[in-house]
Formats: sequence, structure tokens, C-alpha cells
Amino acid sequence: MSTEHGAIARIWNWRITAFCALILFLVALAAVSFGPISISFIKVFKTLFDLPGGSTGLDRTVIMQLRLPRVVLGILVGSALATSGAVYQTVFHNPLADPYLLGAASGAGLGATIAITSTHHNLAGALPIFAFAGGVLAVLTSFFISGKFFADPNSLLLSGIAVGSFATAIQTYLQQRHSAALRPVYSWILGDLTNANWSVVAWSSIYIAIALIVLFMVAKQLDGLMLSDEEAYSLGINPKKLRIIAVAAATLATATAVSASGLIGFVGIVVPHLVRGLTHRVTNRSLITIAMAGAAFLVLADLGARTLLSPAELPIGVITAFVGAPFFLVVLRNRRKVSQ
Amino acid sequence: MSIVITDLTVRYGDKVVLDDISLDIADGKWTCLVGPNGAGKTTFLKVLLGMAPYSGSIQDQGVEVFKSHHRNVAFVPQHPQIPQGMTVAEYVMLGRSKRDGWGNESLTSRSYVHKVLTETHLFGMQNNLVAQLSGGEMQRALIARALAQEPELILLDEPTSALDLHHQISVLNNIELLKDGGVTVISTMHDLTLAAMFAERIVVLQGGKILLSGDSQQVIHSPELKRAYDNRIDVYTLDSGRPVVVASKDRDN
Repeated sequence: MSTEHGAIARIWNWRITAFCALILFLVALAAVSFGPISISFIKVFKTLFDLPGGSTGLDRTVIMQLRLPRVVLGILVGSALATSGAVYQTVFHNPLADPYLLGAASGAGLGATIAITSTHHNLAGALPIFAFAGGVLAVLTSFFISGKFFADPNSLLLSGIAVGSFATAIQTYLQQRHSAALRPVYSWILGDLTNANWSVVAWSSIYIAIALIVLFMVAKQLDGLMLSDEEAYSLGINPKKLRIIAVAAATLATATAVSASGLIGFVGIVVPHLVRGLTHRVTNRSLITIAMAGAAFLVLADLGARTLLSPAELPIGVITAFVGAPFFLVVLRNRRKVSQ
Repeated sequence: MSIVITDLTVRYGDKVVLDDISLDIADGKWTCLVGPNGAGKTTFLKVLLGMAPYSGSIQDQGVEVFKSHHRNVAFVPQHPQIPQGMTVAEYVMLGRSKRDGWGNESLTSRSYVHKVLTETHLFGMQNNLVAQLSGGEMQRALIARALAQEPELILLDEPTSALDLHHQISVLNNIELLKDGGVTVISTMHDLTLAAMFAERIVVLQGGKILLSGDSQQVIHSPELKRAYDNRIDVYTLDSGRPVVVASKDRDN
């Protein structure tokens, strides 16, 4: 960190954010271009921005109706999961916290299972609503049971684990009773972006945008939650209020992401640590960068999921873990070297 | 700025932690709270911070503290939560959060942090991790963060505990500089000798009540002080006139 004369260097360098935005743009462009039908970057660019010389006919349909909504959904889900993960890690003073911590995953899983195993077939179409409601209900139950959350975030974490186990137990019971549902439930749990279309993008973008805007607005104050409540208070932060706002917004983003794309693991843990490890900065000023990195990571993983074994599709969760885990370990190793 | 406390009572459940306290805190002076463990010193600081419920009244510049959101009070805790992975620069910059909005690291703030890091002899360590600072450095980082707030009132909970004598004096000198700049200082301290040396006023708490308060030299020489400590202290006066308080072995002297 260079030092300007008589002033410390900026805590957060906005060039990193800009760089991440560029990476995200290039990754998104590549993801729209590659697939069973390969379309040139320039053609895709021209089509997306409605410039003369863009694709027409089948190519245009592939770009606008198949690939673009899928890429946009990947951006939404990736940014939602990575941002929520970073926020949970700050709020709970726990580097291993992930967006599914407070029962959002198991609640959504139970909701999805109920929709899939339901004897009323029309309910299957309502799967996202069931998953969303299940996730939000599970987190609300955790809040309700813990009671002491205002004083102690750890009690919320523990009740989240209890609620999660309870929801998983019911889910397992339902699956055993309806063995035909095992496969669809399992594939939902692995998560994918195959259901992407503009209507999914439309409703999920509203909730995710609201949640992320709230989180970006409180991002700088979130650093205060890394301190004790007394210290946060003296810095002009109301830690109890801020924790509730942060957890509520992160839960809204997570529940929306889960209902749109199932349980995509690893993004919420790996991406925040990746950004922090590469920049050596734990400040939540990086939240926007973490969101964009999460989006790029998920779009890239989805590109891998649909092209590596084309025409077959790999579950995206397999890619995020397979690529994410080793990369994550390298960053962790380097970070330890630096801090020693 | 002056703080007027009237009939202050704080309860934790059935337990009365602070009992009917009335006190005026002198403006721009250093007031030190002393007393045995459990006397209510830390609770007193939390109440002054405006974050603990109480009955009675604490008026800071004529405004009740729990109602005021615009007070600029710095707090130096005895047991800070150490944020993992955070550098000294980020840590001290937190003191500027109230002044800078989101994402805004004004040049003023960055210059000010540079200044307080230099004053607390932490400049050059701004990229070190807070988690890896020594006890003395950590205490200076806490003071630096408080300084960065440019507070009107600073509350310090046992600022010298866990420090060797050299670092105790250096931290107290830093606080004294702050006071000379016009900031009102309220600290708790176990070391009565240091309290008498630095603070202008001493308040002796016992069982949640004020046993004694006033000019620090008068308080330290008062026989009442010995009673607060169950007669287990002795007060000597050095040739320079400075009082020294030591533990007494014999209870009945």
C-alpha cells in the first residue's frame, strides 16, 4: 500500500471493483457466445446492444431466449449468494458461515419436496413459491426460537442449526414415503440454472435487487459488527438494528436465489474469501466487488456445466465445488503466508 | 460539554447495579472511577454511552443520553472484540465511519488517520493485522481509533490493565493529550496511584453507590477511601508530594 503524503492509502481501491466489473462483462459475453451453437463475440455484442449486423433468426432466439436469461439468472443468483455469504460471515464473526446457515436451505428443501411429492400435480409448477416460503419460514422460526438474538448472534446460529435439522428430517420422511420423488428432489438439491427464462429472471431480480441495494447501503457500517456491541455503539452504529437489517436482506436474497435455482453450494463461502484473500482486505467496502465476483464465478461455472459434457449437463454445484475448493485452498495458503 | 447525572439507578433483573447516583461530570476534565470489582464502574460507562437502560436522568449538554443519536462519544473497552483479518489502518479508519458516509474515504479522514497513527506511534504498522498486535500496540490502536473519532467525550474501561509500566504511562500520556485538546475524559482504573497522577477528579464507587467524589488529591488522602477497599490499602506521600497507594497486608491497621 503506497502512502500519499500525510494521508494513509485508501482502504478500498475502486480499481479492483472496476476490474471485477470488466471480468464479469467478459465472462457474461463468453457465456452467451459458447454452447452447442457457437456464435462469435462480435455478433453477440451487436445483438445484445441492438447494433446493426447482429444475429437474426435462430441465432437471435438462442441468444435472447435461451442463453441470455440463463446468464442473467446466473448473475443474480451468484451475486445474491456471494453477498449473503459475506454478510453472514461478518454478522456471525464466523468465516465458515454460509448463506444456508439459518435454515434457509433446509427450509427451502422441505418446501420444494412438499411441492414435488404433492399428489396435486399442479403444485409442481409452484415449486419456487414453496421453496421461497420454506426458506423464509425456517429463518423466521430460527429468529423466533432464539429470542435472544438481539443480545447474542450465536443463539440465532444454534437455533438455525436446530430448525435446519428438523426441516431436513421431515424432508427425508416425505422422500421415503414418495420414492418416485427422490430423483427430482435430488436434482433440485444439486441446483441448476436450466429453468431460466425471462419470467423467472423478472421476479427473482426484484427481490435480489432490493436485498442487495439494502446491503450495499449498510456495507460500510457492517464493518462495525466485527467489533463488540459497545464499540459499535460508540462508532454511531446500532448493532442490534443493523444485524436484523443485514440478516433479513441476506435471507431475502438467499431464499430468492434458492427458489430460482435450487441449492448451489460453495459460492457463498468461496467467493467472499477469494476476494478478501486476493485483496488482503476484510472490509465490507468490498461487498459490491464480492457480488460481481460471485456473479462471474457462477456464470463461468454454469458455462462449464452446460459445455464440458455437451450435450449432457453437469450439475452446477459439482463445478462450483470442483473448481472452487482447490482455488480456495491456494488463496487461504497465500493469505496465511502474508499475515505471518 | 457537561454531564449532569440525577438519581441514576440501573438494574439487571433484580440486582441493583447502580443505586441512586447523582453526580456532575466536569467539562474538559479527566474523571476517574475507582472502586473494587463489581462496584458498577463498567455499567456506569455503558450507561454514559447511552446503550444501557436506566432510571433517573443523565443529561449531556441538556439532552437525555439515550435519546440523543448525535453525541460523539468514543469508547475504549477493556476486552475489545478483535476483528480477524483487519489491518490497523482499517481498524483506525472505523473511527471515521460516523463522519464519512458509505464508500466515502475522504482525504480529510485519511489525513486524520495518518495523524493519529503518528501520535500513537503506530505509523509504519498500518498494514499489520490487528489480531497480531502486542498488548501495548493493541491498546494504542484502540486509543488511535478513539482519537480518529474526534470525540467530545471519551470513555475508557481500564485502559492500563494488561500493560507494563512503560506502556501504562505512554497510553495515559496519549489520553492526557486528548484532554488537553478539550475532550472530557471518563475512565475506570484499578491503579489508584496512576488515577491520582493523571485524573483531576476521582469518584469512588462501592456496591453501586458513590462513596466519595471530588478533587483527586483530596479523595486519595481521605480515610473514606480506605474503607471502600476494606482497609486493605495504605497511602504514602513521596517527597515530591505525589501520593502512592499500595496494598496493605494487615487488615486491622
